[in-house]
Amino acid sequence: MQSKLTDIELIEQTLAGNQSAYADLVRRHQRFIFTLALRFTKSREDAEEVAQDCFVKAYRSLSGYQAQSKFSTWLYSIVYTTAMTHLRKKRLDTDSIDDEATFIQIENKPSGYDADNVENKSRSYYLNKAIEQLLPDDATIITLFYKGEQSLDEIAQALGIEANTVKVKLFRARQRLKEKLERSLKHEAKELI
Amino acid sequence: MSSIEEKLWNYIDGNCNADEQQAISLLIERDEIYRRKYKELLALNAEFSAMELDEPPMAFTYNVMEQIRAEVALKPLKTTIDTRIFKGIAAFFIMSIVALIIFALSQVDWSAGQAVNFKLPEYKMPDTAGLFSGPAFEIFLFFDVVLGLYLSDAWLRRKKAVKAV
Repeated sequence: MQSKLTDIELIEQTLAGNQSAYADLVRRHQRFIFTLALRFTKSREDAEEVAQDCFVKAYRSLSGYQAQSKFSTWLYSIVYTTAMTHLRKKRLDTDSIDDEATFIQIENKPSGYDADNVENKSRSYYLNKAIEQLLPDDATIITLFYKGEQSLDEIAQALGIEANTVKVKLFRARQRLKEKLERSLKHEAKELI
Repeated sequence: MSSIEEKLWNYIDGNCNADEQQAISLLIERDEIYRRKYKELLALNAEFSAMELDEPPMAFTYNVMEQIRAEVALKPLKTTIDTRIFKGIAAFFIMSIVALIIFALSQVDWSAGQAVNFKLPEYKMPDTAGLFSGPAFEIFLFFDVVLGLYLSDAWLRRKKAVKAV
């Protein structure tokens, strides 16, 4: 029954002292928040830490949430700042992720799949691999747009930038993703031949 | 930046106005390059939309709620108590004291001008000299010293343990 409640109703229940309502909110948004955190951190352990931190921070400041924007948009802005702080702490050089050398290195990794398994690799697998190779900002915008059901304005609000900038960034991110996906698929086709 | 692709993405996302939409629709209909590119981007868009989300660990929700529970439990008592309660109690006592002072002052006969001649009643103090001497007092003092040492040792140990955490 709880799962049919809206985010706002669950927030009201949480603020009234019902912690299980917040657990429902976490369950509802955890997959997306975790994926978003993973887009930034590129490691499951770090993503788990960031996503957990994000939900705890959201709980702490839940009373300050004003329903002017969607709860998810508010939550994404927290993931963004939490992930940024985490990356800063870890002194991760994000530029190197998009480095051509890194890309080639990733591409040339010996494949753990044999000929039979190759058939099982779906395009979605390659898509996820290509997203992993994108810059965190590009990967986040793509994920927010396609999986977060967020409009350009909402993405702009979550990332603290202009809607027009989001539009341009989304266009560029799609271009890069398309290139990486094509390169990845071409490489796989060569391997098969 | 390819302007064809940009236009087509805007068209696919529904980010263009009615006139632009109509113009692009016509271009797709009549221009082979536009049509081919449109189909390609549409396929790509469908593929991006079908991307899968990653699954967090099984105990994710549990861990988050545990962290929240621990944080709530650690919250010092003074932050959970409404300060208005303290202020209310303080106000009650202050008002009572002020009322009492006003009442007392109103009862004073200010016209009485003659010198007041108070004389305290005679009171004989009990003889306590015998209490602070003798073996019973020494045993009491010894017990107090031992108890004091024991309690200060326990306090220091607890302080050290808290520091270690």
